[in-house]
Amino acid sequence: MDEERMWKDLYHKVVAEQEQKRQKSSDSPSSHEARLQEEDGGFFEKLGTRLADRAEEQRQEETLQPAKDEDNSCSEEEQQQQGDDGEDEAKRARYAAKESNLQRQPSRAYEPSSSPETDSETEEQETALAIVAQSVGLNIEELYTALLYITQHPIGLDVVDQVEQDAIINYLQKAFNIDDETHARVMDETRQMEAPEIHLNIEVIEAKDLVPKDANGKSDPFCVLYLESQPTKRYNTAVKPETLTPVWQEHFALPLEDPENDVLFVEVWDFDAAETVPEKINKVKTIKSVRGLVKLAKEIAVTARNGNHDNEFIGSIRIPLKDIPVVGHVNWYTLEKRGKSKLRGHIRLRMSFSSEHNAQVAFQEHRHLIRILLLHELESNKVEKYTWQLGSWPTAGSIVLMQHAAQRGLKSEIQALAKWIECSNVHQEHPLNFELFHELVQDIRASIKSGMYSDDELKQFWEATRKSLHSGLNALRKIRRLACDNKAVVKQLVAILRIISCLSSLEVPENVNLFPLKMYSWFPPEILEDDRVSILEALEFAVIRGGAEWFEYIVSNNNMESDTDEEAIKYHIKIIQLIKIDLTRASEIYEKLFIKTIDFPYTKVLYRTYEKRISDLCMVIVEDICGRLKRIEIETSENPELSLGTSLFELYLAIQRFAEFGEKVCPDEIEQMKVRNYYDWFASGVSHWLEMAVFKAIKRIDRAIEVDKLQPVDSSVQYSSSAVDTLTIFYQIKVFWTQLAWPDIEGAYAFIAKIVDDICKCCIAYVDRMSQKVDELQEIRDADSNLSRPNLFGQQYDVSVAWCYALNNIEYVRTSIEPLTKDLGFESVIEALAETKSQIEAERCQQTLELIIDNAKDTVRNKIITMQETVAKRMAPAMARYLMEGAEHQQQPDANSSNSMDRLMEYLDSNLITLHDNLSEDNFQRILMVIWEVMAEVLNQLVNSNLRRKRPPAFYSNLHQTLNNLIQFFNLGADELANVQVLERIEKTLGLYGLETGELILRYYQDRLAVQSAMQDEPYGLLTVKAYFFNDLLNLQILNARNLRAIDKKCDTYVKIRLLPEDVFIGMKTFKTNVRKETQFPLYEESFSIPLTSDQSKMKNAVIQFEIKDKDFLRTRFLSECFLSFGDIQQTDSHDGFDALPQIHMKLSRPTSESSEVIHALSKRKGDSQASSFVTKIQSKINSS
Amino acid sequence: MAASRSSNGISRHSQRSTLLKVVILGDGGVGKSCLMNRFVSNHFDEQSFHTIGVEFLNKDIEINGESYTLQIWDTAGQERFKTLRTPFYRGSDICLLTYAVDDPISFKNLNLWKSEFLYYADVPAESSFPFIIVGNKVDVPESEKRVTTEEAEQWCSVNGGLPLVETSAKDATNVETAFSAAVAAWAKLEARVERPLLEDTVDLSKQQNAYRSSCCLPSFV
Repeated sequence: MDEERMWKDLYHKVVAEQEQKRQKSSDSPSSHEARLQEEDGGFFEKLGTRLADRAEEQRQEETLQPAKDEDNSCSEEEQQQQGDDGEDEAKRARYAAKESNLQRQPSRAYEPSSSPETDSETEEQETALAIVAQSVGLNIEELYTALLYITQHPIGLDVVDQVEQDAIINYLQKAFNIDDETHARVMDETRQMEAPEIHLNIEVIEAKDLVPKDANGKSDPFCVLYLESQPTKRYNTAVKPETLTPVWQEHFALPLEDPENDVLFVEVWDFDAAETVPEKINKVKTIKSVRGLVKLAKEIAVTARNGNHDNEFIGSIRIPLKDIPVVGHVNWYTLEKRGKSKLRGHIRLRMSFSSEHNAQVAFQEHRHLIRILLLHELESNKVEKYTWQLGSWPTAGSIVLMQHAAQRGLKSEIQALAKWIECSNVHQEHPLNFELFHELVQDIRASIKSGMYSDDELKQFWEATRKSLHSGLNALRKIRRLACDNKAVVKQLVAILRIISCLSSLEVPENVNLFPLKMYSWFPPEILEDDRVSILEALEFAVIRGGAEWFEYIVSNNNMESDTDEEAIKYHIKIIQLIKIDLTRASEIYEKLFIKTIDFPYTKVLYRTYEKRISDLCMVIVEDICGRLKRIEIETSENPELSLGTSLFELYLAIQRFAEFGEKVCPDEIEQMKVRNYYDWFASGVSHWLEMAVFKAIKRIDRAIEVDKLQPVDSSVQYSSSAVDTLTIFYQIKVFWTQLAWPDIEGAYAFIAKIVDDICKCCIAYVDRMSQKVDELQEIRDADSNLSRPNLFGQQYDVSVAWCYALNNIEYVRTSIEPLTKDLGFESVIEALAETKSQIEAERCQQTLELIIDNAKDTVRNKIITMQETVAKRMAPAMARYLMEGAEHQQQPDANSSNSMDRLMEYLDSNLITLHDNLSEDNFQRILMVIWEVMAEVLNQLVNSNLRRKRPPAFYSNLHQTLNNLIQFFNLGADELANVQVLERIEKTLGLYGLETGELILRYYQDRLAVQSAMQDEPYGLLTVKAYFFNDLLNLQILNARNLRAIDKKCDTYVKIRLLPEDVFIGMKTFKTNVRKETQFPLYEESFSIPLTSDQSKMKNAVIQFEIKDKDFLRTRFLSECFLSFGDIQQTDSHDGFDALPQIHMKLSRPTSESSEVIHALSKRKGDSQASSFVTKIQSKINSS
Repeated sequence: MAASRSSNGISRHSQRSTLLKVVILGDGGVGKSCLMNRFVSNHFDEQSFHTIGVEFLNKDIEINGESYTLQIWDTAGQERFKTLRTPFYRGSDICLLTYAVDDPISFKNLNLWKSEFLYYADVPAESSFPFIIVGNKVDVPESEKRVTTEEAEQWCSVNGGLPLVETSAKDATNVETAFSAAVAAWAKLEARVERPLLEDTVDLSKQQNAYRSSCCLPSFV
């Protein structure tokens, strides 16, 4: 794992710790944190994690998600039992609770109710009876009389005994509020009244399983009907030939005189068993013509009537009239024949009662009856509003209604219509359960669709509908007053929606205006009196209006406690939250009801309504507040606006959640919505906060460094508290930024650039403070140590652990820059820019961010190096002292050389151990280099300052040895050495100064040789020779010279040969060629054989010096010289001579003062005669000519 | 790791130069980015984009034997970027106010830019801040030059004798001169201000200067 990554991981560790802390509990900072935060009131935490937590809370408040512990309180079993409904109910209950939590303020007026439309708009309810008196057009007494009669002469199955009859009469008296006297009189009248004209309507539908009577296994069945009281008054059906499953579908109306006691007989016969119908028909055919058929029919009819015929009886049934339900029915009856148990067959009959009243009158009567009874019920039983349903009728009431309908011949669709109309009327005064309307409207719609109503009846229906629909729409408009946790209420809501759905499928007649504006004052103003508004449009208006009213209600019922911006913001947050709750409730509870029932996008419509209002409301306040934000004046460091930031961003997040919700609910419309650009309103607020953040961050960093004890935060790490604290600031800024989730990509880029720049500034500030702090600590330490231990040798600086931590902290902060900036979403923003703008622009932005980061990293790195240099320089005096001691120590002949540098090594060792143990690896390697550089410099200075003094070569060779030891000690490779230029110089110097004089002189010649081979030009010409060794015999042949530079016109030269170094070749004579006159191209062509000792000949670094001398009239002058190393001379096995050998050309040169390092070293050796004479000689050479 | 540990750190560290934060302001389209790019990379892009918020480049220059590292912040001139660019003003050492010689409105707006800068940069004393006025696009034909040098000079003298440089980022006229003049103006003003002792240390101290001269963060001093 590389260093960089290790540090990055440390950064992530801090992030992870912070996240963890947040999850545990955010409001109990450690005492250390508290100390830091008290400085700025927890500025960063407020807008970082705490804002995030608060936003999370608020988000919770706005949704129905159960809080975690709530979830646990309900065991799994229970939850299963509750099932879906239970869950929904629980959801609804939570809602109500949450809302009331938010609505802590006086908002009692909007208490949820279990009844829809608890509106005081409708006027005070009048008494039920008053309505009866006013609205009943016909004489109540007349109706009462009719009803008493009907009751006393009930028909059908339903009324049997006298007791019940009395109860009903009693019930009617109460319902109609008739005094006893009148009642008695009416009773009398009714007793004398004639029975009403009542008919039994019968449809003989079909028969099955009839017993076969004919030879062919079939029958030719027909039916005969009569009443027991009038056995001769018979009705019969047609004959169905050759079938056992005849279908007749024939209708009969039998006038009844005693419907209470009479009995209906139905007989089934097989026609003229002797002769089948086809036979008869065949017979008739012979008679010809239609007349024959008529005759036959008559015959059949006659035989049927008098029973005197050849027909065979199949079976009969006996039906007492009181067994027939008063509303009528269709039924299969089993045929019987006296004395026979065998199955005779089945017959199906439809039977009902009817009377011959005027249908209009009867309808009206029935409506009045419904109204009177309903009002009576509501009044006498104190029926709650919105609870009355069809099933709520008491037995007596429903019997009366049924008897009345039956005896007046009202068909079921007319009854339903009557109920619809009257319930709608009553509903206005005393609301009934909407489910009742739903049940009715379903039947009515079917009847309308099959055209069973007259135009007049339809008109009446729609006029009644106008009233009930108004109530339904109002209930939807005021949906928020409903307790959405009440199952019954939800049911009614569904009923309303179903009614609307049902109605919207019908066509409203032209002559009916369902939505008169005086009833719908809350329709949008653009709707005019004559506009035809569809039912679905009206539904939408109701929803929109409901939202608008709720919004206004919230706005006017939540007050700002004071006039401050802070309060204003809180107020707005609250409004958004309440609206958001409403929307969440809409989407999670109502939406599915609306969609399922009527396919209406409830939440979307509502969101549209709120969006505009919220945007208008918030934009004004936000832009106002942001507009008033002043740039930060540093003098007033405790800005009152600083706390404003928090709530401003709470508002931001609240609006953000609101906008996100909109994106979910209406993805196709959000682009056009104002709320879409919510972030724009806050832009200057964010800028402001960021500016404040740098200021605060730097103060916080000061404080963090101040309290930092430069001890590791725990045993596993090598950094101390201030680094963690600083990263915590960055982390908080990051959390803040992440939460903003700035939607505009260009803005996001600019803000990130700003944050990155700020963080870089903070890092640099941290580094400056940190290094300042360690400097101060060092000064204190120096002062202390001077007092406590006055040292003879002066003080010795030792690296402190605290300093190591300071350096680690800096490194730690530095390496966090990059991962931190990544966390800001820098990469994804660049990607998005490349997508939305262009690749080039994205690259430029990326370059900007990277440059900022690189600049900061470099600056910090430079600071680290500076700190390291400072430390190394502090170590320099001690290093110099120990080096000097060591070098001098070795001069002593009895010195044990291995120990001479011990003190230096000890000193370095102990400091490097401290550094190694406490610094990060990277920093350790770096400081090692820095110390090495300083060390080298110290050595250099030591050497140079001693050069002036008279030091023996041993002094220098000791130092040289030490240098090599140090190189090993620092474990440096070639790369590192190459970096230290001073080292090369020292090495060379020490090398030279450590040599004995003879060696130095040889070094001089070798240097000359090196100069010669490096020469490009030939300013003094060339000398050509041949040379070889034969055993220990050196053979030289001087061939010629060319281009010699002459001093005067006369150029008389010879070559002088000398073997060097002199002390190796002591006693060796010099060799000379003859003089060649007046030529710059002399040909010498002379050979020399020089016998050497074996040791001498093996000396590869020995050098032959060739000097060109000019023999003048008076004296000989040195012209130039060249050198040949023994190492370059061939060794031959045979004494073959020079012929086979190549020529050696040597460039001639003169010594110069530049190649003077060796000379310089030699000239320092005062009192060394060998050295001084050599130096004199060389100097004279240089100065010659 | 061994290879990277020493060389760059040490070589970098041996160069010490004064760090200056330079901000370029002016109307959209006067050629701020082009000036910066011409100056930093001697490059001119015919096809130019609106700057998004801010852009940033470094450039080392030497003036009168002193070496400087200019941190140049190029800003977006469009009004909609106002809240995004103004935070970057704080801590500036030098401000280039630019206009285009063929665009009189951009010249007129110099006043607005100047006051926007002074407000957001929180500069304590206007007179002690080094502004440079740069009239870009002098490469346009004489007939299209709508802001005369005299006019510009007059404005500069009314505004406290600010230096004026007419440039062309397109054909590289005077671009280097403009930035050099800016640094020179800074140096001149700086010399009048009492320098703290830190002055002659490393380049880091200049980073501090950057803060200090803006006076926004007294804790730095």
